[in-house]
Amino acid sequence: MTPAYPEVKVSHVKNVIKVEMSLFNSREEIKYYQIDLFDLNWMNIPFSTTYRIMKVEYKEHKAFDVYIRKRDMPEAVYLCTTSKVRKTDQSRTLISSRICSRLDGEPA
Amino acid sequence: MKYSIAILSLCAFPALANVEITGSVEAKCVIQTTKSGSYGNPIASKLSTTPADGGVLPVMRYDVSIADAYIASITHPTSFSSSPSLTDTVAWTGSTSVTQTSVAGMSAYEAAKTVVGNTTNFNLTLAGSTWFSTASSAVYGSAKPLPGGNYTAIVQASCIAK
Repeated sequence: MTPAYPEVKVSHVKNVIKVEMSLFNSREEIKYYQIDLFDLNWMNIPFSTTYRIMKVEYKEHKAFDVYIRKRDMPEAVYLCTTSKVRKTDQSRTLISSRICSRLDGEPA
Repeated sequence: MKYSIAILSLCAFPALANVEITGSVEAKCVIQTTKSGSYGNPIASKLSTTPADGGVLPVMRYDVSIADAYIASITHPTSFSSSPSLTDTVAWTGSTSVTQTSVAGMSAYEAAKTVVGNTTNFNLTLAGSTWFSTASSAVYGSAKPLPGGNYTAIVQASCIAK
């Protein structure tokens, strides 16, 4: 779980924008989440954060910041967290969940 | 002196302060796995999550706190994430459906869904919980028997802010 429309702020670094995010892990079988940033056409956009893949225990709430260059902000649309699934030794389907926030503001 | 202490203690009021509890509801989406899917092997060349084929359909629950803020986008598999070595092609089919809803109006999601390739999109126009199940089937090329071993495929369940 992440907010739909996260808060975008100026950072302490010139020409770098900070996005304050939080993630809540509601899936008991998942421990790791990956952070990605995309444009409207789902092409990757460069960003920086402390951990691109971070460990979040079940029912744990974790806050993290994502730093994006000011010049990339007009293109940046989707900030997503994707669950990382573990390899299994059974014939089954695994569910990878992805929640995407929008950085270009709430719909009018 | 005793009387004045008694009078003062009667006049003393406990210190009271009102402490407010504030909160706000933001648009948020939660995806949970209600049931893990598994493949049945009804014939030697086929793996299927359909119960009639001995499989189990994976079920995901989407909880959204605000109406009309998210799209549920669910992609059924088109490859195995792990399997024994395969020398022939695999024909994949799949579909995603609404199986349960917390609000009666959500039953319209099924008729309004859009399918693009192997991805099914649902416009989550109401707040509450919706359960989706994904069927997945893989048939090995030219009806060859699938090699023995474990097969795993991934369903991608996305919740995308509008």
